[in-house]
Amino acid sequence: MHASIAGKEILKGINLQIGAGETHAIMGPNGAGKSTLSAVLTGNPAYTVTEGEVIFRGKDLLQMSPEVRAREGLFLSFQYPVEIPGVSMTNFMRTAVNAKREHQGLQPLSAGEFLKLMRAKRALVELDNKLASRSVNEGFSGGEKKRNEIFQMAMLEPCLSILDETDSGLDIDALRIVAEGVNKLHTADNATIVITHYQRLLDYIVPDYVHILADGQIVRTGGKELALELEQTGYAGLAEHPNTSANMVGTAQ
Amino acid sequence: MQELHLIQGEHKHLVIEHVADDSAQWHIVQEAGSVLTIHLFCLDSDAAMTGSVVLDIEQTGEHAETYIYGLGILTGKQQIEVRTHVRHSVPNGKSNQLLKFAVKDEAKGSFVGELVVDPHAQHAEAMQTNRNVLLSPKATMHTQPQLEIYADDVKCSHGASTGQIDESALFYMQQRGIGVVEARQLLLTAFFHDVLTTLGEPIVEERIQRRIAQQLA
Ligand SMILES: Nc1ncnc2c1ncn2[C@@H]1O[C@H](COP(=O)(O)OP(=O)(O)OP(=O)(O)O)[C@@H](O)[C@H]1O
Ligand SMILES: [Mg+2]
Repeated sequence: MHASIAGKEILKGINLQIGAGETHAIMGPNGAGKSTLSAVLTGNPAYTVTEGEVIFRGKDLLQMSPEVRAREGLFLSFQYPVEIPGVSMTNFMRTAVNAKREHQGLQPLSAGEFLKLMRAKRALVELDNKLASRSVNEGFSGGEKKRNEIFQMAMLEPCLSILDETDSGLDIDALRIVAEGVNKLHTADNATIVITHYQRLLDYIVPDYVHILADGQIVRTGGKELALELEQTGYAGLAEHPNTSANMVGTAQ
Repeated sequence: MQELHLIQGEHKHLVIEHVADDSAQWHIVQEAGSVLTIHLFCLDSDAAMTGSVVLDIEQTGEHAETYIYGLGILTGKQQIEVRTHVRHSVPNGKSNQLLKFAVKDEAKGSFVGELVVDPHAQHAEAMQTNRNVLLSPKATMHTQPQLEIYADDVKCSHGASTGQIDESALFYMQQRGIGVVEARQLLLTAFFHDVLTTLGEPIVEERIQRRIAQQLA
């Protein structure tokens, strides 16, 4: 898949396959295109896909509106979560959860059921009740915003979650709590893409595959040991051992 | 033009829910200690409507207070002009104007806010805020604050802005599965929130909320 923004090509032929139950890490230098990949998958209108296709659970993802992609089970934990003053977390989440339920042909949750769900999911990531009763992300600290992303992920129970640098901004304890939350949400039926710069997160969320994205292409794929190697050599050392073809990424199901 | 005279100490709440012809044109005089609160709602569904609102208010007695709160969603080919004229002629007066408009489709909105503080109207506190959101490329909003402050010991402030809906907030909501129409509705309800909370009448507030939703659908 190729994609561009403002006429500039950012993704220059990405080939990736993610199977149910898998966790894939994507690492790579600043500006490589990692967030661009998240934006393109979730349907951010600022980007244009110029070539290629994306099949999500048998369906043509690129034909769907962003909200339908979400209702079909795609979730992005934003690198920079957006503040929405005046829209309460509760109202926001109720609208989101019920939109997904309607898409699935289910009745909306009653007020009681909804509050119970909120409470249970808040506990999962230890999100303060005070935060849940405020406007969406408004005045949240950097770490609180990231924790709130994973809370929303827990509420929506997606099939494919993309965590774009969810670890950045989290303190040591928060990182452990949030990572444990992500692990608890992991099942044999869903999958996760973890975008990170640091091995540390991958100690908690252990990936099946690690991909290196550089200059809009996946230049290397390996197991979790690739992240360790990267820690030693940095991206500069990478080019010297291109032992995996860029096209042989992920696994076939 | 309708005339209204608030006698000394009188409190008056005026709710203008429709902007048709001269029902929305007022000349109001306030005596000392009177408190006037006006709520203006431009939420008419007639897509071809043209309307003009005039709120011409003069404080002739000290310690009078004037509050003008307004919101509107202009749709279709509507052309609506709102003109406020608040005049502090005597000392120790207070006024606050907060008006917010969302303009859709090919509608045209205009706000002209004249605020006059006469030379001897010392210690006046006067505020005027006008915020607007354009919801389509062909929608326009003209805003023209006009402050004439002739007294030197006063507290006056004004602000006017016209912008677009926050695209990143819209996308964030869509990414959570919320449809565009509903996401816009949530954002605009938030935008109008501070105006609505000044109403203090739950039944009217509910009715206005419903009309907001209808105008955005
Ligand atoms: N509007 C734009 N016009 C031109 N280039 C853009 C625009 N927006 C983003 N880019 C470029 O796209 C490239 C990829 O950005 P992206 O955010 O995907 O990188 P990233 O891999 O997520 O980096 P980081 O690790 O810093 O988060 C960058 O070089 C960026 O400058
Ligand atoms: Mg990024």
